[in-house]
Amino acid sequence: MTRRYWNINLEEMMEAGVHFGHGTRKWNPRMAPYISAKRKGIHITNLTRTARFLSEACDLVFDAASRGKQFLIVGTKKKAADLVASAAIRARCHYVNKKWLGGMSTNWSTTEMRLHKFRDLRAEQKAGRLNRLPKRDAAMLKRQLSHLQAYLGGIQYMTGLPDIVIIVDQQEEYTALRECVTLGIPTICLIDTNCDPDLADISIPANDDAIASIRLILNKLVSAICEGRSSYIRNR
Amino acid sequence: MAASATALSSFLSFSIRKSLPTSPFKLSPEPLLPTNFCCLCSKTKRPKTPPTFSQSFPSKPLKFKPSQAKSNDIDTTFFDEINPEEEINFEPVEPPEGYVPPPAFDEGLPETEEEIAAAYEEIYGPAYSGFTVLGNNIYVMDSKVKKTSAFGKTKKEKIRDGLEERVVQVRRVTKVVKGGKQLHFRAIVVVGDKQGQVGVGVGKAKEVIGAVQKSATNARRNLITVPMTKYKTFPHRSDGDYGAAKVMLRPASPGTGVIAGGAVRIVLEMAGVENALGKQIRSKNALNNARATVVAVQKMRQFSDVARQRGIPMEELWK
Repeated sequence: MTRRYWNINLEEMMEAGVHFGHGTRKWNPRMAPYISAKRKGIHITNLTRTARFLSEACDLVFDAASRGKQFLIVGTKKKAADLVASAAIRARCHYVNKKWLGGMSTNWSTTEMRLHKFRDLRAEQKAGRLNRLPKRDAAMLKRQLSHLQAYLGGIQYMTGLPDIVIIVDQQEEYTALRECVTLGIPTICLIDTNCDPDLADISIPANDDAIASIRLILNKLVSAICEGRSSYIRNR
Repeated sequence: MAASATALSSFLSFSIRKSLPTSPFKLSPEPLLPTNFCCLCSKTKRPKTPPTFSQSFPSKPLKFKPSQAKSNDIDTTFFDEINPEEEINFEPVEPPEGYVPPPAFDEGLPETEEEIAAAYEEIYGPAYSGFTVLGNNIYVMDSKVKKTSAFGKTKKEKIRDGLEERVVQVRRVTKVVKGGKQLHFRAIVVVGDKQGQVGVGVGKAKEVIGAVQKSATNARRNLITVPMTKYKTFPHRSDGDYGAAKVMLRPASPGTGVIAGGAVRIVLEMAGVENALGKQIRSKNALNNARATVVAVQKMRQFSDVARQRGIPMEELWK
């Protein structure tokens, strides 16, 4: 893997507040090597490590994208939901920003059934057939459609299991992480001081509470994906 | 610059590796265990049906075996050997001349929905979106789905991947509820090609056929490889236990055949072992004995592997 320049500088990260952790009482002792100090009852993560891991993660993501792999970004916190959606749309990846339904990847065949239903409903809506039905049926179908759009809207272009999964908050998306581990899908995870760094394949110690910090990290990863994709298209 | 390598035992090493000649990172030595297992912890593994997820926060490293690791060429080796105690210096690569950082994803021009849809469709095809902008067939995903035929039961699919199934036991089990008894069938199936791959699976359903199919699917998820010598027998003795069942396996000279009872015999036959002796010592429960043979077989090593691992010539092992 060649190392490229990803415009990661420590001042920017400090401004965004990437180095803040959670309160001292809530920490996971496995995070001890990544914590540099304790200030006012909050753990402070070591930014050099974060920067290093982030650049390696970007390299990996660039490499994978230049080989045409599929990505999935999972982030269901209310703060992060819109960010995840816009980031994924920018990078042309799949995303999950409403609740991550249990068994979405391990029970992929059932998720596919739902996706088929979604597609049929969409096609009918486009063709205008929903307006010809009686009001009650039309209302029911529209409600189903909006439901499916909320939960599965981000993965509507996903034909099979993804190759790399990016998870925004490990505590929140624990089910998603477990599923990826059973299936053997490499994961990149934003770890905070109360998370376990051994679960994900690549863990980036960062702050998952502040919108600015999530935005920054997603920004770097997304730019890496975009570059990788463009090099894939060029070399195809 | 590479992180120096003392791999702590608490870090995962997934079997997703490709050794690149230009990689600056040193790969950790091949694990001693058969490559199906990717955990460096020394806990004994029981071959069991896919583990149930407990939501309590895990306190030990994972023992999950990846059943569908398709991404074999994504190289995550850098992160396998991180020594957290050691100081890492962050020395970024120099920026290329005239480097302009790209705009963040929420700045920049907002794209219309059509542009987004077109871009996605270029990459992935129309998939499940229900409409096309580029004129592809929106029902392209239908061919991937099995069609349920109008007659009711679908045609039974032929043996798909060269693994033969044999039913060890089918039992009728009952659950007593307020309304009466609910009957199900529980099938235990051993799946194997005769080349050294076997798997044991269980499945329950209301019909025998359904149960057999379920258990075959389950068995295919827990395949192991049997180390075999050129005369189709084991390299050495071993015993394994699972639950209350204990099984003793012993290699035999060619021409002996498989001399073992019930479940053990079926597992060995489906593995392709031709000469072996086996005995069920404690319990006679079929499922537990099948699993115990699997455990016993997993404990076996080939002589060449052990010699290579220990760095001694093979003759030393036979003294």
